[in-house]
Amino acid sequence: MKGSKTSLSQIDTIIGGLLMLLAMVASSFIVIIATFIAIRGILPFITNNSGLGSVNVLQFLTDTVWLRGETFVSTAYGAGFVIINTLYIAFLTVLLSFPIGVLTALFIAKIAPRPIAATMRTVIELLASIPSIVFGLVGVGLFLPVIYQIARSLGYSSGGGSSVLATVFVLSLMSIPTITAVAEVSIRQVDESLEQASLALGASPTQTRFKITLLAAKSGIFSGAILAVGRSLGEATAVALVSGNARSGPSFGLFETTATITSTLLQGLKETNGIDYDIRFSLGIILMVVILTTNFALNFIKRKVGNVHG
Amino acid sequence: MMDKVIDTQDLSLHYGEFNALMNISLPIYRNKVTALIGPSGCGKSTFLRCLNRMNDLIDNVKVDGIIRFNGQPVQGAGVDVIELRKKVGMVFQKPNPFPMSIFDNVAYGPRQQGIKNKEILKGIVEKALKQAALYNEVKDRLTESATRLSGGQQQRLCIARALAMEPEVLLMDEPTSALDPMATQRIEELIEELKKDYTIVIVTHSMQQAARISDNTAFFLLGEIVEFGLTSEIFANPRDKRTEDYITGRFG
Amino acid sequence: MFMVKRKIKLSEILLNGSVILSTMLSVVALGLIFFYVIKEGTTLLNWDLFTGNYHARNYIAELKETSTQTFEMPDFSNIENVFTVDRFGIALQEDVDLAGNGVVRVYYVHPDSPFNQMLSKEVGSEETDLNVGMIFQRISYVDHPSSLSRGGAQKFASELNDPQREVFEIFFSDLGGGIRGSIITTIYLIFMTLIIAVPFGVLTAIYFNEFAPSNWITKTMRNFIETLTGVPSIIYGLLGITVFVPLTVRFTPAVNSNLIAGALTLSVIILPTIIRTTEESLRVVPDDHRAASLALGANKTQTTFKVVLPQATPGILTATFLGIGRVIGESAALIFVLGAAVKDTVNIYEPSTSLAVHIWSMMTDEPANIALSSTIALLILAIVLVINVSVKLSVKLLSKKGI
Repeated sequence: MKGSKTSLSQIDTIIGGLLMLLAMVASSFIVIIATFIAIRGILPFITNNSGLGSVNVLQFLTDTVWLRGETFVSTAYGAGFVIINTLYIAFLTVLLSFPIGVLTALFIAKIAPRPIAATMRTVIELLASIPSIVFGLVGVGLFLPVIYQIARSLGYSSGGGSSVLATVFVLSLMSIPTITAVAEVSIRQVDESLEQASLALGASPTQTRFKITLLAAKSGIFSGAILAVGRSLGEATAVALVSGNARSGPSFGLFETTATITSTLLQGLKETNGIDYDIRFSLGIILMVVILTTNFALNFIKRKVGNVHG
Repeated sequence: MMDKVIDTQDLSLHYGEFNALMNISLPIYRNKVTALIGPSGCGKSTFLRCLNRMNDLIDNVKVDGIIRFNGQPVQGAGVDVIELRKKVGMVFQKPNPFPMSIFDNVAYGPRQQGIKNKEILKGIVEKALKQAALYNEVKDRLTESATRLSGGQQQRLCIARALAMEPEVLLMDEPTSALDPMATQRIEELIEELKKDYTIVIVTHSMQQAARISDNTAFFLLGEIVEFGLTSEIFANPRDKRTEDYITGRFG
Repeated sequence: MFMVKRKIKLSEILLNGSVILSTMLSVVALGLIFFYVIKEGTTLLNWDLFTGNYHARNYIAELKETSTQTFEMPDFSNIENVFTVDRFGIALQEDVDLAGNGVVRVYYVHPDSPFNQMLSKEVGSEETDLNVGMIFQRISYVDHPSSLSRGGAQKFASELNDPQREVFEIFFSDLGGGIRGSIITTIYLIFMTLIIAVPFGVLTAIYFNEFAPSNWITKTMRNFIETLTGVPSIIYGLLGITVFVPLTVRFTPAVNSNLIAGALTLSVIILPTIIRTTEESLRVVPDDHRAASLALGANKTQTTFKVVLPQATPGILTATFLGIGRVIGESAALIFVLGAAVKDTVNIYEPSTSLAVHIWSMMTDEPANIALSSTIALLILAIVLVINVSVKLSVKLLSKKGI
C-alpha cells in the first residue's frame, strides 16, 4: 500500500519535471529570437564583412539612403529614413483608423438595433482574422489605380499609385476591425448606472455617450489602439505591395513612394550570407526596438491617463 | 390646500404583456417627503422612474394615464424630456459617481446645459456640496477622483450632483440600502434638511426609515397603491388589512 | 414650460453625424474587401485551378503513325465551343487559361487515337501522351502553314481534320497556373505544424495550470511566452532562417529551406495562442473534479490527464482551429523561410509555397497576376470563414461544458 502510493507520486514528480522542461523551452523562444537576431544583426557593425569594412552604426541609424554604392561592395547602409517612415506611417494610420474604429464601436454598442449590432459584430470579428496578404491584394487592385488617378489629376507624380497614402489606407483597413472589436467590448462593459445618472441629470443621449460612456471605456479603447499600432509597425507583406519600396527618404508627401522597416526587410533577398543578408538582421533589431519602445511608451501613457480619475 | 408638485392619475404601465402598474393615482406634495413602501417587485421603483420618464429607456414599455408636473402633463411626444429631468432629479440605489474629479461630477449637469463660466460653476458646485453636507469634507480635494470617496460620501456626492441642477423634486431610489448605518443616518438627516427647499420622493425597503423621515407614505402591493396618507396615520392606524400585515411584518 | 421641443444643438448634430459617418466608412471600406475579392476571384474559379500544375510544362512530339481511320466519337454537337477532329479521334475546346487568354484545349481523346503514345522529341523521354486538359500551342504540317492556337479552336480543328495535311510536329503544354502545389504545401504545413505545436502547447499549458508553483520563475516564464504575441511575423521569419533551417539541414536530408523548417517556425508563431487558449479551458474545469480525483487516491498526473484534460477538449479544439487559421494566413515568415518559388511537386525537404505565399509570388511578378491572386484570396477567405464558424461552435461547446 505504502509502496504503490510512493510510485504514483514519483510519477508526478517525473511528469512535473518533464512538463517544466517543455515549458522552459517554450519560454526560451523569445530569448532565442532576441539572441540570434541580435548576434546576426550586430555583425555588420563590428566585423569586417569579408573585407568590405564594417558598417557605421551612426550612419546606419540616421542616413537617408538605403545603400550608397553597389550591393556587396559598399557598406554604406542607411536605415534612418526607414525608421522615420515607419513611425510616420503608423502615426497617420492611427490618426485615420482610431476615430473611425471607436465611433463605429460606439454605434454598434449603443445605437444600432440588436440584430444589426450582432451582425456587425460577427462581420468585424471575421475581418479581424483575414490574412494581411489579402489586404495587400485589395490595396494593389483597388487603391493603387485610384490613387494614381487622383495624383495625376492633382498634378502629382506617384509610383503608379504606390505611396504613403496607399500604405496608410491598407494599414487602416487592417486596424479598424481590431480597434472596433476591442472598443466595442469595452463600451459594452461600461456600468449602465453611470449612463442612467447622466441622463437623469438632464444630459442628452449623445452627450451621455460622448462624455460619460467613452470616458468610462477609455482604458479598454486605448488598449485596442496600442494593439493596432503594434500590428501596423510589424506588418510586412501588405505594406511591401503598396509602398513602392523607396530606396531613399524619408517620405512625408502623401503621394510619395515610401519604405518601412518591414518592407525593406522583404526586399531583394538574394543571397543567404554576406553583408546584404546580415544587414536585414540589423533591421530586425531596429524593428524590435521600435516596437518595444512604442509599446512601452504607449502603455506608460495609458497608465498615466487611466490613473487620473478612476 | 397643499400644493401638488406632481400628480398622477390612473397611471398604468406595461412591460410587454406584464402589467407592472395599475391605475396609480398619487399626489406628491411640495416640500414634503413622500415615501413609497412595499415588498420587492411591486412597482415602487417603476413608478418612481415614470416621474422623470426614465422608463423611456427601456424597450417594450407602454405607459397610460396622466402625470402632471406643476399642473402640466409630462407624458406625450411634445414634452421635452431633458427639461423635465432638469426639474426632477434622481439619486440611485448604488452610488454611481462618474470616473472624474469631485468637482467635475457636480459640475457635469450644469456643463451639459451649456454653463461654461468657471466662476459660476464654482459657485454652483460649492452650493450643491454644502446642501449635500459634503462640502467640508472635500473642499480641499475637489480635483481628486470621486471614486476615492467612501460609499456614504459617494452617495452624498451623487445627491450634490443632482442638486446642482436645482431641481424642484428629488427622486431617491433606495438611496441608503447600499450604505452602512452611520452613512444611512447622515443621509436621513440630510433629507430632513433638504425638504425645506425641495420635494422628495423616496423608495425605501425599510419601514423604519419611512416612519422616521417621511411626511406621507404610499403602500404599493402588486402594482397597485393599497393605501396612501400621512405617515403617522398609516403606521398608527392603517385602514387596509394588507397595510397592517405588511407594517407588522407578517409578510415582506 | 417644457412643452416646446428643445432646439437641437449644432454640436449634437455634429457628434451624431460623426458616428454615422464613421460607421458608414467602416462598412463601405470593409465591404470593399469582400466585393473586390469575390468579383475578381470568381472569374477564374474552376476545378482545374485546384488540380493543375502551376508551371506549364511544354511538350514537343510527333505522331508515330498517320491516321488511316476515322474514329467513333461521342456526340459533342450540343456542347458549345467543342469541335471534333474525327480524323484523329480528338475533340478541341475553345477555352481560356487561368490568366484569361484564349487557348485551344483538349476536350476528348479517343483511346485509339494516334495522339496517345506519341514519339516525344524531347531529350530523355520516349513517349508522351496528349491528355484531356492540355492545350495546343501549335501543330506544324508538311507543306502547309501551321495551325496556331491564336486562330481559335474551330479553325484549329478543321485544319487538323483536313486529310490533305500531314502532321509534322505537335507543340502542346499543360494549362498551368494551377495551385495544386500550393494547396498540398499548405496542407502539409498545417499538418506538421499542428503535430508539433498542439502537443507542445497543451502540455505547456498543463504545466502552468496544474503543476507550476506560483513563484517568480513561473511568472517570468509566463511573461516570456506572452511577449511572443507582440512579435511581428517577419521576425519569426528571421528566426526560421537562422535557427530552423540550419537545424533541419543538419539533421534531415534537406539541403536548404524546407517545409519542416517552415512548420517549426509556424509552430513557434502559434504556440502562445495554443497555450493561452488551452490554459483558459483548463481553468474552467471546476476544482471539485480535481479534488474528487485526488481524494480517491489518484495522483496529479492521472487527475490531469484522465479527468481535467478531457473536459478541456473543446478549448483545445478552438486552439487548433485558431492555429490552422494562422498557418493559412501567414505570409511574411514563410516568405523568409521557404522562399517564394511555386512548386508543382511538393517535398517536405524542399522549399515550396503556401497559398498565401503563392499570392505574394504572383503579386510581385511582372506583371502582377491579380486575377489568380484574387481567386486564391477567395479560397483563403472561404477557409477563414469556415474556421471562424468552427471556432464559434467549439467555443459554444466550451461554455456548455463550463459552469
